[in-house]
Amino acid sequence: MKQSELTLIFLKAGMQTTVQDQGRAGLQHLGVPIGGALDKRSAELANYLVGNKQQTPVLEITMMGPEILFDTDALVAVTGAQFDIYIDNKIVKNEEAFHVKSGTIVRFGQLNYGCRAYMAVAGKWNAKKWKGSASPILQAAEATPDSIIKKGSKLKIESAHLNKNGTLDKNTSTPPLANKIRLKVKPGPEFENISRTAIAKFFGQGHLITQDANRMGYRLKTELTALEEKKEMISSGIIPGTVQLTSSGQPIILLNDAQTTGGYPRIVNITDKDLDQIAQLKPGDEIWFSLE
Amino acid sequence: MEIIPYGDNALLINFEQKIDSETHQLVKSYHNAIINIEEVVYQIPAYCSITVVFDPESINFEILKDKIKELGIKPEQTQSKSKIIEIPVCYETDYAPDIESLAQDLKLSQEDIISLHTSQTYDVYMMGFLPGFPYLGKLPKELECKRKSTPRKLVKSGSVGLAGIQTGIYPSEAPGGWQLIGQTPLKIFNSRKEEPFLLKMGDLVKFYTISATEFKKIQDEAK
Repeated sequence: MKQSELTLIFLKAGMQTTVQDQGRAGLQHLGVPIGGALDKRSAELANYLVGNKQQTPVLEITMMGPEILFDTDALVAVTGAQFDIYIDNKIVKNEEAFHVKSGTIVRFGQLNYGCRAYMAVAGKWNAKKWKGSASPILQAAEATPDSIIKKGSKLKIESAHLNKNGTLDKNTSTPPLANKIRLKVKPGPEFENISRTAIAKFFGQGHLITQDANRMGYRLKTELTALEEKKEMISSGIIPGTVQLTSSGQPIILLNDAQTTGGYPRIVNITDKDLDQIAQLKPGDEIWFSLE
Repeated sequence: MEIIPYGDNALLINFEQKIDSETHQLVKSYHNAIINIEEVVYQIPAYCSITVVFDPESINFEILKDKIKELGIKPEQTQSKSKIIEIPVCYETDYAPDIESLAQDLKLSQEDIISLHTSQTYDVYMMGFLPGFPYLGKLPKELECKRKSTPRKLVKSGSVGLAGIQTGIYPSEAPGGWQLIGQTPLKIFNSRKEEPFLLKMGDLVKFYTISATEFKKIQDEAK
């Protein structure tokens, strides 16, 4: 099929639908969060399925999905969280590329498993980038005006190459979609400063995710009250996967949109290969931690 | 100085854990030297630490740790020159919602607060909290203060605040608990500019007083 300009027209935006790529590493000394798709492997798989390069943007769709009108034929794939996805009224499968005909509507229905789905569309995305990435920044939404999807938003894509030829590391497997998971962690920089009782509680029980869970971080319900009163820590760098212990004793898992510095003790860091899994957890789900 | 692992793909350089100009000079020198290590993806320099994130496919913790040690940076080599950036601030009550109550708390007059705040040059110790938010220090002893017990839901862009031994400038609208003593008409973070950040870690900042009329004039000129 020859290249043609495709516009995605959002009839409904969904709860939080954003354009995401690999984010922007390199501005963190200026206080800019790294951003990017939270479940990287699912985003990569979606691009692979439609033959896009890994760094092509995708739509990150959270808990309630959008309704999208396609004005031109397109090749689409959805990975990550499992929604009931309809083309007009016909249901389509996750993790498989499918064709969407011009003038049809792709609708996200019920969410069955996971939290975030990734939708790739074959072709070159024209979403405006800032400093090398289309991922939006909360404090500078104007920098990437196409990336926070609202009702009526339009996204332009130079729809192309409907033959799949993407590249993917075959060892990648997307995260399991479960309500209760175990994450491998490494001791964080302040691990030794935290009381043994608090550490024992941290590893000895499951932690429920509170409603305060978004792309900045997930606050856990547990209160590790046995935290010893230590002298106040001087603010230091935060990276995705850092788990901080707040003054109330509640752990917070910090993610891609978190601020770059923080002043709470960093109890552990979630290992890189387990980080994608957090993106698929919702409020009420449960996390157990174990040392790698 | 201590270098420890931080997660899978980063290390943390911890200097003596205190906030002062000497430690800041060390952070700055290391940060500037580490920029040249190509396996490093990004850094987060802070008051007395640097988070160094590396590409795990091209280097590991041990090798990077050795490379950083081999930089051999000594305190006496670190007095690098910085540019001084002058920032106009309107301290009039309409632009300074906390100046009156703070003056009472600190047992100073509003004029004292202004003259103390504009009396010295501050180091940009680090950037964090928001894109382009500078943590400046240290404040003159007389101005040290607590954060507000209830943070504001919305602090205006350009607001100049005090907290602890620091002063800072809000680069964009955000919630915040700093004591607001003035506002600058300058946009210290503007994503539309080629150089979006007016300040960076290691710069020097000096504030000077402007009137509300001058504030509006500068703001209009920027439009």
